[in-house]
Amino acid sequence: MRGTPVNGNLKGPRIRRVVASAVALAAAMGLASCGTSGPSGSSADSSAKGLTMWALNDQTILKESVDAYNKDHPDEKITLRLFANDDYKQKLRVAFGAGQAPDIFFSWGGGALNDYVKAGKVDALTAAEANTDRFTPSVMQSATFDSKVYGVPANGLAPVVLYYNKKVLADAGVEPPKTYDDLLAAVKKLKGKGVTPLSLAANSKWPTLMYLEYLLDRQGGPQVFSKIASGDAAMWKDASVTKANQYLQDLSKAGAFGDNASSVGYDQGASTALLYTGKAAMEVMGTWEYANIAKAAPDFLKKGDLGYTALPSLSGGAGDPKSIVGNPSNFLSLNSSTKHRSAALTYLKDYVLDGSQVDAYLAAGSVPPVKDLESKLAAVKSSSDKAWLTFVYNLVEKAPGFQLSWDQALPSDQADPLLTNTDKSFLRQISPADFGVNMSKAAS
Amino acid sequence: MSTTVTKVHDPRTGTGRDRATGRPAAPSRPGPARRRTAVARVRRALTGGATLLWAAIVVVPVYWLVVTSLRSRADFTADSPLALPGHPTLDSYRTVLDGDFTTYLLNSVVVTAGTVVLTVTVALMAAFAIVRGAGSRLSRVSFRLYLLGLAIPLQAVIIPVYLLIIRMRLYDSLPAIVLPSAAFALPITVMILVSFLRDVPRSLFEAMVVDGAGDWRMLFSLAAPLARPALMTVAVYDGLQVWNGFLFPLILTQSGDKAVLPLALTLYRGQFGIDVPATMAAVVLSTLPMLALFILARRQLVAGLTAGFSK
Amino acid sequence: MTVTVPARRRGGRATGTGLLMAAPALLLFGLFGLVPLVGVAALSLARWDGLGSVGWAGLANWSSVLTDGATWQALGLTVKVMAVSWLVQTPIALALGVFQAPRGRVRSLFAVLFFLPLLLSAVAVGLTWQALLDPSFGIGATPGLHWLAKPLLGSPELALYTVVFVIAWQFVPFHALLYQAGIRQIPTALYEAAALDGAGPVARFRHITLPQLKYTMVTSSTLMLVGSLTYFDLIFVLSGGTGGPGTATRVLPLAMYITGFQAHDMGRASAVATLLVVFGLGLSLLTTRLSGFTRMDSRQEGM
Repeated sequence: MRGTPVNGNLKGPRIRRVVASAVALAAAMGLASCGTSGPSGSSADSSAKGLTMWALNDQTILKESVDAYNKDHPDEKITLRLFANDDYKQKLRVAFGAGQAPDIFFSWGGGALNDYVKAGKVDALTAAEANTDRFTPSVMQSATFDSKVYGVPANGLAPVVLYYNKKVLADAGVEPPKTYDDLLAAVKKLKGKGVTPLSLAANSKWPTLMYLEYLLDRQGGPQVFSKIASGDAAMWKDASVTKANQYLQDLSKAGAFGDNASSVGYDQGASTALLYTGKAAMEVMGTWEYANIAKAAPDFLKKGDLGYTALPSLSGGAGDPKSIVGNPSNFLSLNSSTKHRSAALTYLKDYVLDGSQVDAYLAAGSVPPVKDLESKLAAVKSSSDKAWLTFVYNLVEKAPGFQLSWDQALPSDQADPLLTNTDKSFLRQISPADFGVNMSKAAS
Repeated sequence: MSTTVTKVHDPRTGTGRDRATGRPAAPSRPGPARRRTAVARVRRALTGGATLLWAAIVVVPVYWLVVTSLRSRADFTADSPLALPGHPTLDSYRTVLDGDFTTYLLNSVVVTAGTVVLTVTVALMAAFAIVRGAGSRLSRVSFRLYLLGLAIPLQAVIIPVYLLIIRMRLYDSLPAIVLPSAAFALPITVMILVSFLRDVPRSLFEAMVVDGAGDWRMLFSLAAPLARPALMTVAVYDGLQVWNGFLFPLILTQSGDKAVLPLALTLYRGQFGIDVPATMAAVVLSTLPMLALFILARRQLVAGLTAGFSK
Repeated sequence: MTVTVPARRRGGRATGTGLLMAAPALLLFGLFGLVPLVGVAALSLARWDGLGSVGWAGLANWSSVLTDGATWQALGLTVKVMAVSWLVQTPIALALGVFQAPRGRVRSLFAVLFFLPLLLSAVAVGLTWQALLDPSFGIGATPGLHWLAKPLLGSPELALYTVVFVIAWQFVPFHALLYQAGIRQIPTALYEAAALDGAGPVARFRHITLPQLKYTMVTSSTLMLVGSLTYFDLIFVLSGGTGGPGTATRVLPLAMYITGFQAHDMGRASAVATLLVVFGLGLSLLTTRLSGFTRMDSRQEGM
């Protein structure tokens, strides 16, 4: 922050001369910044000795695979850097732009990853190179572009589910909602009890988006968003998009999210804290939250107070209530300018989601996207974990469609308009129909 | 923080500048003396009341910041926010200090010291050249350039600066923060130093010229020592700005081991999540060096912020 | 409060040493201050996604920026922050300045107290207030203060005013300092003469203090106005980098940042940034013009 003097001496003609001389000087110095090519340095950010890898803060199990690799390869170690969720994508993008991106990076697949693929920043992986045949095929779709694979799944299946606090629901005499109408009725009762019906970290915006993704899938079926993702901007104006926003606004109007949702940020962990402290009754969130709850409130899990179920169905909707939305998985991809390609491949092939990793994920309540998991599931000891894992596994197995989160599926230049308009719709600053109009404008 | 350019000290008149605009107060009708004192009392009560109210507004968040940093995680949700901590603990400070805090602190010190030394050195030379060469084209043009520089909002040019830093292969390094920070501290620093040096009596310089001194000798043995108070002022001012600067580190660095304190605070928030006491402990720790500076160099700091407005 | 172009001396000319001395600063400032100034205008005509190569876009960025309602909303918010900040800060700063002007122990204690917020970085201020205003775990949880348990930063109606308040929290003391210094420099003789003429305290305040503080007010106001262009850091932290809720606090610099570094449309962001430059230069020019009516100008003409 800097200041400007109050100056009695600046006169029109003088300032013009000043500007003129500034321009002349800048021109004389050569305008380094307006060349015709992008930043030249594009080598990966790695010392001569080892590799760098970026992932999110909560990827503690992934970290173990790095540790295991490093133990076996002391000469070519991986340095893992972990980031908070909310600014990770942006940091990665800037790092690629500056030619200082990591050798291996973590992503959600989809349009954001495709941006890097199209810019030639990511290497395709053959089935042999990274042993990609061991993964669930439907999950691999999110990292497959032009029938080439650009990433290896690195953690568990992450559909969005409805968590609830059993005790709070019981106290209010509410059953876990099976339909949207159940949900509205539950909201009314829970509000009467003075608890927030649905805990929502609206300040981070993407948790709100989960509602729209789910509501649109239920209302219009999967093809609406598939068309949007394939570039059909007009599809945003489809009646089902408006209807989904209408349902979201109805929930909000009914007070489903309490008064303070717009102040709650996801990275602060407050939304889930409200759930396990009993200040809120339910929360719509990805399956990764189970591990976070287990860590933050082990007693809550032990008492068996955590409930979970698939998102409610929507009467009159064209979508299948068994369909799910969320993140099929996260992926690790290979920077095309890495100087450590073979070491990186060794890591991706032999350490990512290897046998011990799969066990570790299961132990943490996360279902990794690998084939032939039934026997391992059956062997899980903790009964509460087993119930949860089986729930997630069946949810994904039986789902006719698994819609990738919109903010990941779309190219990154549409992510901000998407999140902003979602927030505005949630805040009822725009009408349900405005959402589609604004989005189709941003997408075209 | 913003500031204005003014004379830091005016050797010609000794004390303050004459700020009289002329017109004496229009005589108003004499009123009863009692009414006057009553009005004065009301005015005092009003300004005094406003001051007390504002003091409370200033103090409460600072107080909350400190007591929160001393609470345990459990007490944070259980205790009343403004109560004294029932079980004060330094755990949060330990959490912060066990992490990479010293790295961030060191980065901040290096960046701040580097920027201040660079800025003050080149600004002093430039100011000296402007004053000594008064009337010359170089003097006029460069002076006006700095004048223009004061009006450029830093945010507005961040994209080209980012591109330049990438091209210079400095992205994600401490010099990437130092160079632009120094460049944007230059205009104000040069202005203050120029207005100070201009007031040094010409006869002093001329006496040295007679002695056969060159410009460099005059700079080092006359201008620099004479300008010490002004140099201190700009150094402290520039230091505070750079220490608290956020935009350049945000855009021009990315690695944890290159993060300066303000950027590190945002990293802490993501890392500590709902552990608010730890985040607040980090906020307190990041401010301690400036608090120390305030205690040691309050006069310069005040003078720096108001840039000599109050001597 | 005067900056003057060095007096013209007949025959003055730069020596080689002079050039050498001026060069490092000019080089540094030119490279990072002036080149980017031209660069931002140039980039506003370019297409660059931050990843690939820089291409020519012509006026496409400009037509899209200027026809986008979001740009005008951001500009409107910037002006609003500016105006409301001025309206809130000026009277408080003036009152505090008047109170602090007489010297004394208690008063200097207050002065020290008021200085604290100025030591904190915008990030520290932002994080503290964000946590303090959290409706669930912040100050609103204090018995008796439940009326503060509102989404002050989360509600689209309140967020901007909350931001303005936090800005005032940090900067009012600074402006109070300016006023305090201004008041201390008013010759006491003026008050004595007025008192002899029988002027009451209100009359003295109106007819001596306020007119005498004219320059201080111009300075302080300019700093507030130009400064509010740069409240990026604080708003960035308070809104979690989004300018939210919705776009309720997305001022021009934040809109530029989000366009450039989150949506990766550097060309468009540069067009927004150029608007910011024009706005900043225009504002400086305007305030100098306005203050040009003061006697300061004539004083300098005599130099």
